[in-house]
Amino acid sequence: MIKTEIYESVLFDTVKRGATEISPDVKKAFEEAIERESYPDAKKGLIATLESMEKSRVLQNPLCVDTGWPIFYFKVGNSCVLEGGFVELENAARRTVERATKMGYLRATMKHPLTGYDPGNNIGMNIPDFTYQFVEGDNIEISYAAKGGGSECFGGTRHRIVAFADGIKGIEKFIIDSFVASARAGAVCPPSVLGVGIGGTANVAANLAKEAACLRTVGSRHPDPMFAKIEEELYGALNSLGIGILGAGGDTSVLAVNVEYAYTHIAGIAVATSTNCMVARRASTRIKADGSVEKMISPMWFGDR
Amino acid sequence: MAEHYLTSPLTDANIKALHIGDTVYISGQVFTCRSRLQKYIFDEGNTLPFSTEDRNVLIHNGPIVIRENGEWRLVSFMPTSSIRFEKWGADSVEKWGLKMIVGKTTMGKKTAEMMKEKGCVHVSPRSVSPNLWIDSIKVEKVHLFDELGSIEAAWFFTLDKLGPFIVDIDSEGNNLFDTLDGDIAERKRKALAGLGIDSEFEFTKLY
Repeated sequence: MIKTEIYESVLFDTVKRGATEISPDVKKAFEEAIERESYPDAKKGLIATLESMEKSRVLQNPLCVDTGWPIFYFKVGNSCVLEGGFVELENAARRTVERATKMGYLRATMKHPLTGYDPGNNIGMNIPDFTYQFVEGDNIEISYAAKGGGSECFGGTRHRIVAFADGIKGIEKFIIDSFVASARAGAVCPPSVLGVGIGGTANVAANLAKEAACLRTVGSRHPDPMFAKIEEELYGALNSLGIGILGAGGDTSVLAVNVEYAYTHIAGIAVATSTNCMVARRASTRIKADGSVEKMISPMWFGDR
Repeated sequence: MAEHYLTSPLTDANIKALHIGDTVYISGQVFTCRSRLQKYIFDEGNTLPFSTEDRNVLIHNGPIVIRENGEWRLVSFMPTSSIRFEKWGADSVEKWGLKMIVGKTTMGKKTAEMMKEKGCVHVSPRSVSPNLWIDSIKVEKVHLFDELGSIEAAWFFTLDKLGPFIVDIDSEGNNLFDTLDGDIAERKRKALAGLGIDSEFEFTKLY
């Protein structure tokens, strides 16, 4: 049985790392973007952003002032046993978010949707958000993702039902149209990690898109060649547009395009997009059944990608 | 594209010299605001409890500031998206006598028209680099903390060459992002064509 004090301590460390430390795959994507950038001001902007991200690790300061919606993903072994069970895991996650907010790792950003009431701790109805995936084994893998307001509020996250009659062309056109509109003037904080969900009901597609944006390793490819081809085509197409960092011109508009899919109804294809901002904040930690703890360099939410 | 080092309060002459695409570094006295403050003043009929005369630069921002040993410490700062405050943009420029708004995601036509009439500009960041900027910002004090909370309060900052920012709306009403739209649309047309999606493509209308 994994003790409460162990998973609570892991939750805090994971939130703190997610808020303050750039992931190695995102850093590599930044370095590659800096290398190939031909617009001088965009190059300076990418360099300044990477410098700031490096400094936030040293200062233990947030990567961005908007510390986003607090979102937890738990990949749980079928035989995993937690002291207090999963209700206590969620309570511990809420306590962690409150503590991290008081300590300045998170900004008190979550408000009541109608009254605007700010509880000051990022805790409220259905927030933080929890998603579970069950697998073989007895470990638990805890991932924390921070979904920024810019990346979520300006049309980077949306969906459309595409008719089978329109097929792949309809899917790709919807994604490109959506991204261009949402990245205008840097609204979604490009270069983005663009997640795409294809198939399922609209909410399934939207969840897949968000998980593809927030959890997929940047630089990974879908193992199915049909979906890998869509990722490659969209990555090339979107980076040919000249939108660039914060929309003021540049060679890199997306750091990655990650596509995930579900089977769908004969009536139509739900297509959803979710942009993650350039800092693409997340962190993951594995706790084994014996209570030992391993930092993970990537969430590995979708198998090995 | 010229580079300008400006100190607030800004003058009309400072603003007239700025054109879209120019780079700006800002020093001097500024204040912060998010939508809650503009709603509090313009929709709810309250009065701004300070003068903006010697502080005519507004930064759309919700900083992280914590209290340490009786002093305010700025933990993080990044200009936020201005477009969501478009409803109050023109009023803010006119009634607060602003000469510059700092924010992401530019602003709309109404604000740009008022900026042209009154002589004001909007500038945008070129990076997401809060940890480089915090060293250029000194927290002076805060207004409306109890009423609006830490993020939405009006913070007074003194800046020391904070930047670089790019001028995206100038005092002639030009918008940098409008000038980029045409090129991006043309590149998009080519990108779609490359994927076999011609300009005649229409979605099957399902709803």
